[in-house]
Amino acid sequence: MSPQWKVLVRLPNAKQHALIASILSLGFTFAQCAAQDTQTPENHAGFVPVISGGAGYIYNVNGGVPTLEPKINPVLLVPFGSHVLLESRTDFTAFFQREDRTTGPYQGKVFKTVDYAQVDWLANTHVIAVAGRYLLPFGMYNERFSAFWIHNLQDAPITFPIGTRTSGSGDGFMLRGVATQHPLYSIQYTAYFSASSNINELQSGRAAGGDTSIFFPRSRFEAGVSYQRFLQSRNINSVATYISWQPPSTSLNILAEGDYSYNGRGYWLEVAYLFQKLPVPSFFRRTQIVGRMQQFYPLNGGGNGLPHVDTNRFDFGLNYYLRDDLRFVSSYGRSFSSQGNANIWNVGFTYRFMFPLWPARKQ
Amino acid sequence: MKRYLINAFLLVYLATVVSATLASETNAASATAAKPATQTSHLQANTPKTTGEDVFNSNCGRCHMPPMVISPRITGTVIMHMRARARLSRQDELLLLKYMAP
Repeated sequence: MSPQWKVLVRLPNAKQHALIASILSLGFTFAQCAAQDTQTPENHAGFVPVISGGAGYIYNVNGGVPTLEPKINPVLLVPFGSHVLLESRTDFTAFFQREDRTTGPYQGKVFKTVDYAQVDWLANTHVIAVAGRYLLPFGMYNERFSAFWIHNLQDAPITFPIGTRTSGSGDGFMLRGVATQHPLYSIQYTAYFSASSNINELQSGRAAGGDTSIFFPRSRFEAGVSYQRFLQSRNINSVATYISWQPPSTSLNILAEGDYSYNGRGYWLEVAYLFQKLPVPSFFRRTQIVGRMQQFYPLNGGGNGLPHVDTNRFDFGLNYYLRDDLRFVSSYGRSFSSQGNANIWNVGFTYRFMFPLWPARKQ
Repeated sequence: MKRYLINAFLLVYLATVVSATLASETNAASATAAKPATQTSHLQANTPKTTGEDVFNSNCGRCHMPPMVISPRITGTVIMHMRARARLSRQDELLLLKYMAP
């Protein structure tokens, strides 16, 4: 065999060895991660796969049109060791409306969406690497409050489509973590890139962006800013600034966010108060009242999920926590715009569940 | 061939460095969570020590009603999920584990 042929024959071997070495090294890394158990003598935490999520039923009346919305959002959490987590959330929501909107028998269908299906590598304090389908980290609402068993008012803010096109989720990768932490404050960051996808249930837009916030744990005050550049058809910059404040001495929760994009700008301000610390009978301490006001002004004609005309809206909610995981929800809102004013009612309940998928090993 | 070997070597090196970083951070964070620090910086000495209860109270209620009870079997998994979602630090995670599954 000539030296030239030897090279040609040996090259694939070299590639194979390099590939095997690479896979082994990555496997070694993950094995190391898996082997490093977070369980220490100070805790007895288990790392069993979990099925969690929420189930609920909402009766909604918007402008006189009633809609029945039973829904269930299972969240699957599968840990691999204490540093790698596979997590996903799927939304199954049924919409039933009367045949002629206000009269006739109810009919409808079930919509299913994969909100996220991602692998998290919790490398260290500063780096959490995420790959797969994830919730777009723009503003506060999408990542933190989009789960219906979490948000205080059932309808999303008017400005929700800003920074969350096309589906609220991105397909790609994301880095996030704590940039710096001190007992008095911590600074968090997120950076991501999402590819365009038209795959059924996995739609996403091509976009890149990030979010950073500073949190003061003693006063429980957070301020943050998000940026996104939508890189599809028309390149659009979107910006959000937000604050979140839960004064430690009361059960008040104050959230505010301002959003700006090519299609419009607006803000929402939400204040919630739980009677937990009031000197009232314990029955009433599980009551929560919520108020939210929002204004939106379209730019360049609006659209892309945003109203085409100036819109103002306020909502008032009354929730009651039967348990920490089961609550009755209700709200009334009124929307004002040149296209017509409308009353929006929501009544229902939400339930959050959380179960291990199988028993833990016996100690 | 040399290029592939160099790449493979770099990957192995990277894997080793990452593993070592993770191991050292786990040990350091465990030590921080387990015992009061005997040698603290001037800045830290002036601020009260953060406990798992502090981390729980200041973070969990920011978005949702904190659960009253979580089975210890799933505490680790749930806190991993919340660490990724809420961008908590490794030290916060260990303090929470100690507080919620003592």
